[in-house]
Amino acid sequence: MIFLSSMGVIGKKIEFYKTVAFVTYKEWAAYRSHMAVSLFVGPVFFLVQYFIWHAVFTTRGSLGGFTLEQMVTYYGISSVISYLTFDFADWNLQMLIRTGKFATFLLRPVTHVYFALAQKIGHRILSFWMEFIPVYLIFIFAFGIRLVPRFPVWTVISILLSFILAFLVNYCIGISGFWLIRTNGLRQALHLFKDICAGVFIPLTFFPSPIQKILLFMPFQYITFVPTRVFIGSYELGGVSFSIPEIVGIQALMVLAMVLFVTILWKKGIKRFSGVGI
Amino acid sequence: MIAENQFIRGVKAHFQAIKAALAGRMAYRGDFLLSTIIMLMAEMFAPAITFLIYSNGASFPGWGIYEVLLIQSIFMMARGIAFPFFFGMVWNTLSRVREGTLDILLIKPLGLVHLIIMTAFDCNDIGKLFGGVLLFAISMKHLPFPGFMQWVQFLLLFILSLVMLFAFALIMSALAIVWVGNSRIFEMFSAVTSFSQYPLSIFSKPIQTFITVIIPLGLLGFFPASVLLGKYSPQITAAIVSSIFFLIASFWFFKKMVRQYTSTGG
Repeated sequence: MIFLSSMGVIGKKIEFYKTVAFVTYKEWAAYRSHMAVSLFVGPVFFLVQYFIWHAVFTTRGSLGGFTLEQMVTYYGISSVISYLTFDFADWNLQMLIRTGKFATFLLRPVTHVYFALAQKIGHRILSFWMEFIPVYLIFIFAFGIRLVPRFPVWTVISILLSFILAFLVNYCIGISGFWLIRTNGLRQALHLFKDICAGVFIPLTFFPSPIQKILLFMPFQYITFVPTRVFIGSYELGGVSFSIPEIVGIQALMVLAMVLFVTILWKKGIKRFSGVGI
Repeated sequence: MIAENQFIRGVKAHFQAIKAALAGRMAYRGDFLLSTIIMLMAEMFAPAITFLIYSNGASFPGWGIYEVLLIQSIFMMARGIAFPFFFGMVWNTLSRVREGTLDILLIKPLGLVHLIIMTAFDCNDIGKLFGGVLLFAISMKHLPFPGFMQWVQFLLLFILSLVMLFAFALIMSALAIVWVGNSRIFEMFSAVTSFSQYPLSIFSKPIQTFITVIIPLGLLGFFPASVLLGKYSPQITAAIVSSIFFLIASFWFFKKMVRQYTSTGG
């Protein structure tokens, strides 16, 4: 009986978060032209990268462990993956804390972290057909990039883990709002650091070897570099090679470590929150 | 005499607005300092890629590392002047249109363009200028020192790069009037101008024509750098003429969009 009752509560909660995701989807669908900007921005940025690497590879056969084709594919894959994993949980949480609106979450029978995750799911579902599919097709047909994963199942798992990890890392940044009043600067700093360490701007194999070794132990490479390498079908960083199932397993462990870190940080941060007359 | 008075009044108002913006920003000094450093680091993206490419033994054919860094430093310096002093007009217009407060500017006794510029001074972006000047100095130290005429030509082309950025700011502000609340126009700007940070020769002929004649993006970095390097490009004249047309077109577009502005009174 108790089991059935608790199942009912869980079912209701899932229903609630599904509604949050759906409402977020509907809300952002009203601004779909904003999302459609990606159809211009993504290919234009890619075009510049395409010419940069074409020029660079005229002087070399391979660079940083990449051939020209692999390099162009790397940027293509990392661009489309970013549409699936993009996150702004940090901005949302910091805004709620700064304005005091976060107090309303403390009064509701809602866990904010799940609420924020549901929002992200709704937002990214919209992005899937508004950004991911069109840009994916542009890359295939306009640029002739082979965007077919070598191990489709592992690639999907890796992208899902990257989706959660991007959320958890950003949520940590958001939690810093409990300690700081104005956090725009810090947020931008952490985002820049995260993107550099994730391999968004340039593959991590271009960095000096000691830095590559440090990056192995940080969560950032698992957001972009790892899913991109899983998509390509091989992984190596800092002279260390892993098979695809191994690196996806390590990525899953990193997600668990981040869950633990977010939980600890949240418990410390929430004690500092105060909001009056919201 | 009246025109002169109006000019002085406008300059005074402008400085007053900058003073107020600085005072407001200094209320959060820590965040200001951090934001300035971040702006500088974010601008270092293209130079960092250049450095990593060359440190891995590769290169852009026909271009040395300091020549490429010179192009990128000029791009940074142009943005470092444009962003604090007038490019804030884009964000200002965007937020005012969304909030309905652009009306307040429309009824004030100063030109709209002047008002949206002076109420948008952003000192955070000074970091871009510092970074640009530093990178410029480092690059020039490793390159042959240019002659007097080369410096004069560089200065003229650098002014044109600011004119180009002003034209971009006008077009983006105009877009912000009709495309309400879409902050992604900044991403569009970044995407388009990313062509300006690399040697023109790496792009295909149609793209070279596009960034020289249609939208002279080459003026934002490549052409000013090429005169300092003595690598004169025959496309410079076309780019200069095109930049003037681009500025005129941007004013026309801005005025047209302002006429389309509708509001319920804020």
